[in-house]
Amino acid sequence: MKLSKNKGAVSVSATKRKMKIRNDINGWLFLLPTVIMLYILIWRPTVLGAVWSFFKMHAYTVGDFIGLDNFKMVINHSRFWQMMSNTLMYVFWSLVIGFLPPAIIAIMINEVVYFKQSTRILIYVPTIIPGIVAYLMWTYIYAPDNTGLLNMLLSKIGIAPYEWLNDAKFTIAGLNIQSAWKNMGSAMLLYYACLQGASIELYEAAILDGAGMFRRAWTVTRPALSATLLLNFVNQIISVFQALDAPLVMTGGGPNGASANLGFQLYQYAFNSGGRGTGQAMALGVIIFVVLLVATLFYFWINKRIEDSY
Amino acid sequence: MFKKFKDKPAGLLSHSDLRTVKGQTVHWIFVAILFVFSLIAIVPTIWVVMTAFKDTQEIYSGFTFFPQDMSWNRIVTRISESWAILRLGGTIVDTLFKSIGDVAFTLVFCGFAGYALSKLKPIGHKVVFTLVVWTMMMPTQIRMVPNYMTMLHFPFAYDWGGVNLLNTYWPLWLNQACASYTIILFKNNFDALSTSYVEAARIDGCSDAGIFFRIMLPLSVPIVMYVSIGALQVAWADYFNPLIYLTDNITLPLKLLRMKNDPTVRMNTYFMGLIFGTIPPLIIFLICQRHILGGITVGGVKG
Repeated sequence: MKLSKNKGAVSVSATKRKMKIRNDINGWLFLLPTVIMLYILIWRPTVLGAVWSFFKMHAYTVGDFIGLDNFKMVINHSRFWQMMSNTLMYVFWSLVIGFLPPAIIAIMINEVVYFKQSTRILIYVPTIIPGIVAYLMWTYIYAPDNTGLLNMLLSKIGIAPYEWLNDAKFTIAGLNIQSAWKNMGSAMLLYYACLQGASIELYEAAILDGAGMFRRAWTVTRPALSATLLLNFVNQIISVFQALDAPLVMTGGGPNGASANLGFQLYQYAFNSGGRGTGQAMALGVIIFVVLLVATLFYFWINKRIEDSY
Repeated sequence: MFKKFKDKPAGLLSHSDLRTVKGQTVHWIFVAILFVFSLIAIVPTIWVVMTAFKDTQEIYSGFTFFPQDMSWNRIVTRISESWAILRLGGTIVDTLFKSIGDVAFTLVFCGFAGYALSKLKPIGHKVVFTLVVWTMMMPTQIRMVPNYMTMLHFPFAYDWGGVNLLNTYWPLWLNQACASYTIILFKNNFDALSTSYVEAARIDGCSDAGIFFRIMLPLSVPIVMYVSIGALQVAWADYFNPLIYLTDNITLPLKLLRMKNDPTVRMNTYFMGLIFGTIPPLIIFLICQRHILGGITVGGVKG
């Protein structure tokens, strides 16, 4: 009796182990293709990019170890610090122009009774337009002669045409207006979804307590949005810091380098230097990587501080 | 007068506020501001459409917003004229082929990986998941040159033989296989589906592939729709990867970018090209409007 019980227990655990192994094999069959691609296209090139930044590159083949020469060449580029400050200006303007308006629009759409659905759809229109088409149409909107939309509107009220993107002081802000226009709809939709999470009971309780409109906005609406706002804040900084599409498509880095940022320069090193700049491209990649790593760690630190304070 | 005010649920403006003049004023100020933003959102788009239907002389002399002649006849001639000049037919077919490949790779690779990470949990899945999360936050530019070199002699980073994938759609498709954000989306979706489905099916003798295709996939239609729509829109608009990897059979966004500097293509014809490039995503949007604007309810069962 006893023996047979033990036997049964052994065989059960044996089948269990067998099932576990079978499950592991099946699981890895599902997982392996993606893991291999992640290895070949993301993990390995990231490490190799860091390693190769210390090597002399002959176009797209690796040469000898040269220490920090690539980094020196990147930093000694006559425009390096201008491009660094341009990159920070991109981040600054994208936050000023594009960060809060979608949240405010979402709050307003959530509150209005009339024209709710129609404004929601209209504001979403730019998001449907493919990114490249949006860039190209805005280069024409900013056209320096009267064929451009903005100058056409100015000429109607009798103001001479302005040169928009050819003005070194305006160009970065101008590119950020374009991206704010393009991204307004999707960000608005995200915040709108978050606002549906703010419970009506909370608002009712706040009204019973005699809270005015601003007090309700601060105590009920703000907490419903704050997590998403913080996440978007960091994501926006990280993505804008790396952005290169807008200068590449709309200005070509001009006028006179005023809209060139680090990402744009990296692209030039990598693919527009006749193969002579590939080493510098990776060195610049490492510099961007380190800056963003510091920013990300700072985000985790501040996020923890905020969570602890609640 | 404004009957809907009574049914307004409590919020920043609740029905008690809307009974007062002050509350109503705030409401209409909100509407006015939203109206301004709506104008900002659509006026550039309308301008592009209007300019596409103008005559060339009209663009360079008239400087008006609307074209002078907007008859049906004129619209048809402008469209057929531009179509003949731009010759985008082949490019659109290529771009569709490339985009559908992108979506297929995203769904298959990321869907399988998300399922394995969520339900099968093979040995080592925690490490993989942590790496995937880190991948999402990794700056992309450090790997731009190494990626290009990998595609020169795939799958090796050094020149050890291998296949040259440049000028094919494979680099673009393979890139979609490692969309880490989509893997996490799929994992979260499968996490929300009860494990008892898997157990019950396994007792009935269903294989893992069978469980995935017959049970999990039908329950995941919302997330599959959401991912496909998003991936299709990104794939259609992508110009950067084709710019790096393609020289022949370039896709529509790249073609439009190159055409900008072509002196034979006039502004009105060019704008018509931009419209042609927007029509496919617009069709997708109109068909799937509810899925996009309604937000997503990720997960099949609740509670």
